[in-house]
Order: sequence, then structure tokens, then C-alpha cells
Amino acid sequence: MRDRFALSMLTVAVAAASVGAFISASITGSSGQGPIARPATVAGKPNFSGIWQANNEANWDLQAHAARPAAVTQEGVYPYDYARVPAAPVLALGAAGAVPGSLGVVQGDGQIPYKPEALAKKKENADHWIDRDPELKCYLPGIPRAMYMPHPFQITQSTNKIHMAYSFSNTARTIHLDKVEGPPDDAWMGHSVGRWEGDMLVVDVSHFNDRAWFDRAGNYHSDALKLTERFTLRSPDVILYDVTIEDPNVFTRPWRIAMPIYRRVEPNMQLLEFRCNEFAEEFMYGHLRKQPLVKRWEGETMTIDITRKIPPGDQFYQWYSR
Amino acid sequence: MRDRFSLLVATLAMATVVVGAMSVTQLSAQGPVLKTPWGEPDLQGIWTDESDTPLQRSPRFANQEFYTEAQRAELDRDRAALLRRDRRVERGTELDVAGAYNAVFTSQKRTGARTSLIIDPPNGRIPAMTPEAQQRAAADRDFRLALLQSTDTCKNKSVACAGGKYDPTPSPKRAEPPPRYNTVRINRHDGPEDGALPDRCLTLGLPEFGAATGSFRRIVQTPGGISIFYDVGQGQGWQRNIVMDGRPHLPASVRQWYGDSRGRWEGDTLVIDVTNFSPKTDYQGSRENLHLIERWTRTGPNALEYVVTIEDLTVWTRPWTVKQDFTRQSDQDNRLYNEPRCIEGNYGHPGLIRGARMEELAYAEGRGPHPATKDNATDFVGVEDDPLQ
Amino acid sequence: MRTRLHKAIGASGVAAAVAVLLMPPAVSAQTVPKTSWSEKTPWGEPDLQGIWTVETDTPLQRAPKYGAREFFTDAEREALDQERAALLRRDKRVERGTELDVAGAYNALFMSMKRTGARTSMIVDPPNGRLPPLTPEAQKSVAAERQYRLALLQATETCKTKNPVGCPGGTYDPTPSPLRAEPPPRYNTGRINRHDGPEDGSLSDRCLSLGLPEFGTAYGGSFRRIVQTPGGISIFYDVGQGQGWQRNIVMDARPHLPASIRQWYGDSRGRYEGNALVIDVTNFSQKTDFQGARENLHLIERWTRTGPDTLEYAVTVDDPTVWTRPWTAKLEFMRQSNEQNRIYYEPRCVEGNYGHPALMLGARIEELAYVEGRGPHPATKDNATDFVGVEEDPFQ
Repeated sequence: MRDRFALSMLTVAVAAASVGAFISASITGSSGQGPIARPATVAGKPNFSGIWQANNEANWDLQAHAARPAAVTQEGVYPYDYARVPAAPVLALGAAGAVPGSLGVVQGDGQIPYKPEALAKKKENADHWIDRDPELKCYLPGIPRAMYMPHPFQITQSTNKIHMAYSFSNTARTIHLDKVEGPPDDAWMGHSVGRWEGDMLVVDVSHFNDRAWFDRAGNYHSDALKLTERFTLRSPDVILYDVTIEDPNVFTRPWRIAMPIYRRVEPNMQLLEFRCNEFAEEFMYGHLRKQPLVKRWEGETMTIDITRKIPPGDQFYQWYSR
Repeated sequence: MRDRFSLLVATLAMATVVVGAMSVTQLSAQGPVLKTPWGEPDLQGIWTDESDTPLQRSPRFANQEFYTEAQRAELDRDRAALLRRDRRVERGTELDVAGAYNAVFTSQKRTGARTSLIIDPPNGRIPAMTPEAQQRAAADRDFRLALLQSTDTCKNKSVACAGGKYDPTPSPKRAEPPPRYNTVRINRHDGPEDGALPDRCLTLGLPEFGAATGSFRRIVQTPGGISIFYDVGQGQGWQRNIVMDGRPHLPASVRQWYGDSRGRWEGDTLVIDVTNFSPKTDYQGSRENLHLIERWTRTGPNALEYVVTIEDLTVWTRPWTVKQDFTRQSDQDNRLYNEPRCIEGNYGHPGLIRGARMEELAYAEGRGPHPATKDNATDFVGVEDDPLQ
Repeated sequence: MRTRLHKAIGASGVAAAVAVLLMPPAVSAQTVPKTSWSEKTPWGEPDLQGIWTVETDTPLQRAPKYGAREFFTDAEREALDQERAALLRRDKRVERGTELDVAGAYNALFMSMKRTGARTSMIVDPPNGRLPPLTPEAQKSVAAERQYRLALLQATETCKTKNPVGCPGGTYDPTPSPLRAEPPPRYNTGRINRHDGPEDGSLSDRCLSLGLPEFGTAYGGSFRRIVQTPGGISIFYDVGQGQGWQRNIVMDARPHLPASIRQWYGDSRGRYEGNALVIDVTNFSQKTDFQGARENLHLIERWTRTGPDTLEYAVTVDDPTVWTRPWTAKLEFMRQSNEQNRIYYEPRCVEGNYGHPALMLGARIEELAYVEGRGPHPATKDNATDFVGVEEDPFQ
């Protein structure tokens, strides 16, 4: 019995040697060999490299909610919350502008523990979604929002650094696994410092500014935000992503979101650009044109006339930085 | 070593035989229970009720649960005669148009064996409503009748104006929203919300007992999962995705038109608990507090018994229970048309709203009567006689 | 006894596996830079990781007086350093209230200067260190754009005073040009003297500029961080003033994107050739512009480690619709400290872009002032020329 065990160990060792040789050859070999073998580990750590995308409704609203008519609504013929109708900016999209329902990604009791005055600001944000959601201006989405936007992102994992490149705009971040000096200023994307706890990647993100939102529902934070992210490979193609969120200026206690993130397993998957600041120009600057450009749309059942206006005085600039 | 191995194989073989035998020959009160290949009770197939049974028992049958054969035959004759009748009245009236819904359009199934679908309370009728529910129903009815008060329907004291009175002056309620979220046809079409849920393709749901135009459900199972597609009425089908993992219901803040269905097996019966209904649904007056407990049991090769207990203590003073017997339909014939394409062909709803705008314009231009005198609500089909009541 | 032998064999099997992983592959017989340096990642690929930048200033093109000479002498470098520093320290005041005076603010208080580099030019081929001649079509394009741009300036002081920077080759005409009411000859990428809407802005003003090839700018440096993983490589750029971007190099040997898909940063396909990373870039958008090259731009880059802290970047630039022959530039990158982490990768250009809307708002205010008789005709104002640092350039 023991002989057979030793023999099997030898066999495994020889097999490992041949596999090792094979991997080494295939990586450093010549071009034209097709898809690269993705090893399960990089220097002994689970390999998160590849292209990933969340597949949920978190970017609409982190919390559990039934489907609703649109991101911005107005009162219908009834005063009830459940009988509102889409507001003018999104009316023409019909059902394509509706918000799908969600079981939510907020853990525990599903509530976001806002301080009372902060909750009022969240509601104000939601009511002013069109003017205030940074996503509409193609501004940087911050963390964690970049992780669950409906756009793929690519992880490149080395031994001392991990790059996360998001196809949305030019959003990106570097996770430092080695010692680095802090950033010179607060950032939309924060400053990410990571470490391994067994097979789990733990990342502390800090040095945020107060500009990014968590989702399209107006959930926001201050520049005191700190995150602890936990990445686990549940299987080769699924990451379990868990974030503890702390911001004593806005919330009464830390809270967590969690979700699976899925690998884009299409054989020829690559990131394409989504350089949206070009697409957002008419939205951002159209009111400054000498002659209005986007004014009117005639459909069969509705005509949309758009009038632009320039906010007075300093409000003109404040609109860009709210 | 070899001996131990063969003993193990033999034991396994015997166990398989025993289990196999059990699954085939287990007897229940209703007969052999069929299982899916993975060992769950098999409820799969297309199921419908092949006979007509009223929801509530006609008072003349008191506590009689089943018709006699003679009574069934007489009912069949009466109902067929009604359908074959050519119900013409004065040409150009709404009643005359309604008369078109005779046997050319509507079909009739044989009268069922039971005197009612309701088996509890013992009188086969829906229990009494709570005082609050009665008030709400009264307010809804008053609003509806107020919007009819200037029409011929009320002038002629049609049954559709029961409880109302005629008044040539249009009611001021025509400018007010309904007392609560409207679900039925009212005599106003200011906007889509004035429409009945069926007109808006927002109707039907649970519980589903059938309608004059058919009620089919197809059940498909997989290990640990079950999916039911409904083909009901005229293209108003829907899907039920039964959650079978034992977890609690959705949070109370999430409401759904079809509720939240949580299922489990109790022996050979599928028990489904349904809550989280939307305040916009309405079943006999019950809205967001509706609670259903369904029991689906295969009772024969082509028979499935469906029992549902219906509860809403804000509406009825006690729960009540319905039993319905489904008969399996041929999979190969596949007479189930699950394409709920209601909205795709919904010309009626916009037609009603547009028609109201045209009547208003005609009146404003002196070409037509005041819109409040037109009855654009009442569905006269089948209202007048119903031998089953 | 037998057990211990098996264990030893097992162990040596594992050791053999490890040894194979660490062994460098055979170096190919292809071009290997003379100063090649072989450093591998733990999984055996050439290691290009780190923060890289150019620590010296080198012009793209060689001043003609240096002929075919590739390198400065030390004395020449010294002299250039002094000349350039003197320029930057100078207090360039002119008549107060003029654009030139404001431009003078860009002296050493704002700009930094790196030491003059060893090379006389980044371009190493053609041998004269200068861009090849333009094709006739490209010359026509350039001429049409220049004519358009000058037409929009013809009524300004810049042209009246024949300013060599702002109005080279242009003429003064107090009547505003009718071209002011027409779109540019093709998709506009430079600053023009009109701000009717966002598309009149330069790509820089619109936060749509920069890309490949990236040779650095005077404003804010040019940093790139390379991170590798088995079979993959990712490069983040921190360039200019917050105009960074990411490059996701496709390493799986599949062909380029279909021709119908165009991208601002092109489509980068990479492979290793011996110690060099070779990246082929195509599929550029018609809205990009590098020295006149747009959608037909084709780059072949070679990234090669040449020392413990050095990396040679060579790029062959090719666009037969613009240049009569390809040309090649070479840059020597120095590795920066990972710990100091002096790369600020947060491309937050649009988030703080007050300049772009301000130019448009300003134009609307000028128009209103003119209509109300409070100000001059907007066509006489030069709201385009960037006077900074263009008057003298010791490198040329």
C-alpha cells in the first residue's frame, strides 16, 4: 500500500515536471498558437486575471426593489408611490427606460444606514438624477461602482501590482501589493492597497474625494469613505466580491455589499473602448452653442422640444462639480 | 476483498430493486403516484378544467356539494339554450351589440359535478366581508355608479345600474380620482389609469380558476425546480417561477403582480405559499394582503387536484378554500398557446381613450351629446341570465 | 529504504518541474539590441514591469544643422541646457492686457525642464532624424486646414501684427472671413478661433486628446506603468495634465478587430519575440490625429529591457496616405521607484474641465456684447492661439 502511494507521488511529480515545462514553453513560445493558457495561480496565489463583468442591477440601485417605471419619475394620476409615471427626460424610451427589479446587494437587513440628514440628501440626489449623477457626465465612477457597471473590465495580476482596467471611459486603478507612498491628493478612484489572506485578496481603498456615487439611485459618500474589498475565486470563472463600506460622515455604521462577478468566457473577448465624454458633449455643453443643435424630435405619438439654458453666475461652473 | 465487493454490489442491487418497487407500487387513496425520473411527484403536463363549475354555490343548492345527474343534464340544456339564442334588441343600442356574444363566439363546457368550486365554508360561498372591506367596496361602487348616473343604462334601470339612480346632471365625481387604485371598467377614459386592468393588459393572476375563454397551465419540472406557464383568457398568460429553496419570502417592501411563490413538497403534494401581492392587483376585493396556500396533488394518470386556501383578514372574516379538478391534455396536440401577446394587439384600450376624446370634441362643437350621458363602460355580455347562479 | 528512495524521486521530480519553470527559453536568433538585458517574470516572460518615463528632453525631429548626427556632444548638451534654462527663467513681460503677456506667465514657475537628452532627435530613421516628406494628398489636407485656421484669424491683432506664432503665412483682413460660417474641411482636432460649439474645440480642450504614439509633452510629463500576468500585459499612462488612459494589449494571437470598428487608442495586438514585446496597433479612429495621420495610422512598437532600470522603446510609424515612407523613433525609459509611486493615474480631465465650457460661454458673451454695442466684433478677437513656449525653441 505504501509502495503504491510512493509510486503515485513519483508519477505526480513527473507529471508536474512535464506540465511545468509545457506551460513555460507555451507562454514564451512563438506567436500564432491561439488562446493563452491561464494558469490557476500566479506565484502561488489564485489568478484573477482576465475579463470580468457583474451581471446584476446594482448600478441601478444597490437596495432590493421591485421594478419601477424609470430612474426619474413624476406623480401619476394617483398620489401613490406605486403609481408614478416616467418623467419627461426618459419618457420617450418607453420600457427601455424602466428600472428592473432586484433582490439587492446590500447584506444584513438590506438597509443602507444613513444618518437622517444624509438620507435626505440621498433622496435629493435621486430626484435630481439628471443633473447630478456623475455617470451621465461620463465622470469617473469611483469604487465600488466601477466593479458593477454594465461594462466589462480587465484584471492583470502580477506579483506586486494588480491592474484593473475598466472599459467605461478611461477608468482604471492599480492595486499595490507592495509598499508605496500615499497619493498626492484625494482621488475619484481612491488609493488601493492589497494583501493576501490565504486565497483571499483583501484590498483597502482610501483617499477618496466626495464626488462619485454608488449607483443611479443617488446613494453617495463623503471624502471620509474607506472600503475593505474581499475577492475570492469561487470557481475559475466566478469571483465573489464583498465590500465593507465605512463613512462616518454619512452612515451610522459600516455596511456591506456582496455579489458574484462573472468571467466573460467568449473565446475572443477583449475590452473595447467606451470613451463616453465625447458622447456626453451635447449633454454637457450643448447649452453653450451659438445655435442650438439638438432641439426637436418628432415621433409618431410625441414631439419632444428641448430648450437649453445657461445657469446664472457661478452656478454655471458649479453644475460641473456637483 | 473480492467477497466484500460482491456483497456490496448485491446490497446495492437489492436496495435499488426495493426502491424501484416502492416507487411503482406505492398506493395512495387515489391510486398509484407517478414520479419524475429523479424521484419527485410528477405534476407535469398541460392541465385544464374540462367542465364548468361556478365559484360560488347557488343558494338553492344550500349545502349540497354535488349535482345529481339530472340536475347536471338540465343545467346543460338551459345553458346551451341561452347561448344559441339570437338576442336581438333595438338596433344601434349597446345591448344589441352585446347580444352578438352567443354560441358563435362563446363555447360551453359540460356542467361540472360540483355545485361550486368553493368547498369551505360549507355553504360553498365566499365568507362575509369585513366592515372595512364593505366600506371600500361601497365607495368603489358609488364612484362607478356616479359616473353612470346620466346614462340610459341608469335611466332604463338596467341591472348594470343596480344600486344606482338616474340623474341627468353629470356627477362632480367625473373630475375626481377614484377612491383607491382603480382596477375595473369605469365610465370615464381620461387616461390609461381609468381603464380596467384587463383593458390595460394588467389583469389576471392568482388565484386562477378559469374564465369563459379557457384556462390552461403547463407544468414543467426539473430536479428541485418547477415552472408553470399559464394560457388564460384571450392572450393574457403569465409565468410562475416557484422558489423551491426553502428561503423566506421577499422583503415586505417588494410587491409583485403575481405575488411571491414559495413551494415545498409535503409527501406527494406540492404546497405553494403566495404573498407579497401588489396593491394594484385585485381579487374579489383583496389586494396587497392576499395570501394563498395552494396544494397540487396528482390523483391519477390524467388527473390533478388543485386546492387553494384564500386568506385576507382585511377583506374576509375568515379564510375560504377552493377545489378544482384538472384533466390532462395531450402533450402532442399541444393546445396551449403561451404567448401572452395582449399588449401587442391591444386596440381596445387606446380605442376607448381616443373615442372619449372624439366625443368630447363632438360635444364641444355641438355635434354630439354630453359624454357623461354615454355608457362606455358596461359590459352587457352574459350579465342578464346565468343559470348557474 | 524503498520509501525514502521514492520520496527522494518525488522531490527531485518537483524540483525538476520548478527548474524548468525558471529556465529562460532559448533566445531567438532575431534582432537583439546590443544592450539587451534578460530579466524574467516568475512565469518566464520578459519582465517589463514598473513605472517608466523619459528623464531627459529630446526633440522629435533633429535640427537640420546636426545633419546625420545621432548624438550631441557633451558640450552641446551643456550649452543647450543653459539656453533652455535661461529661456524659462526669463520674465517675459510685454504690453499688459495682451494675450502675449498672459502667455508669458508660463515660465519656470509653471514649467519644469528636464536635462537635454543624449540624442539629437527621437527619430532615428530616416537618417536625417526628421519626418519624411508628406504625400501630395496630405500636403493638400494640411494646406486646407491651415488656410481655414488662418481665415478664422484674419481679422485679429495676431494677423494685423503679423505674429509669427499665431499667423504664420497669413494675411490681415478686417472683414471677417465667410469661412466663419462653415464647418472645417475635415473633423477638427486643433484649436481654431471659433467656439460655436464643443466640436470647435481642440481635442485637448475636449479631453479627447493624447493617445498613441506617446512621446511626452512639456506639460506634466509622460509616465507609463506596466503590469504583467502570465499571457497578459496591461499599461496605464499618466500623461500631460490628467489625460491618462489604459492599454489592454491583446496577447492571444488572434487577428485585429474588424475594419468597421475604430478606436481612439487603436487596437493593440502583442507578442513576444525573444526578449522584446512587439505590439502592432491599427484600427485608429478618424477623429484621432498624430502629426496628420488619422485612421490609417499603423504602429509597430518594440519594448526591450536594456538594463536593470532601463527600457528601450522603439516605434515604427506608418501611414502611406500621409508620409512617403515609414519612420522610426526611439526613446530610452528610466524605471521610477515603485515605492515613491509617482504616477498619478486618474484621468480626471473632464471632471475638472472648466476651460472648454468657458471658451464657449465667453464666445456667447462676446457675441452679446457686440450685438449690444458694448464690444468689438468677435471675429477680431484671437481666442485660439496658444502663445506659450513657441517663440524660440533652441532645439530647432
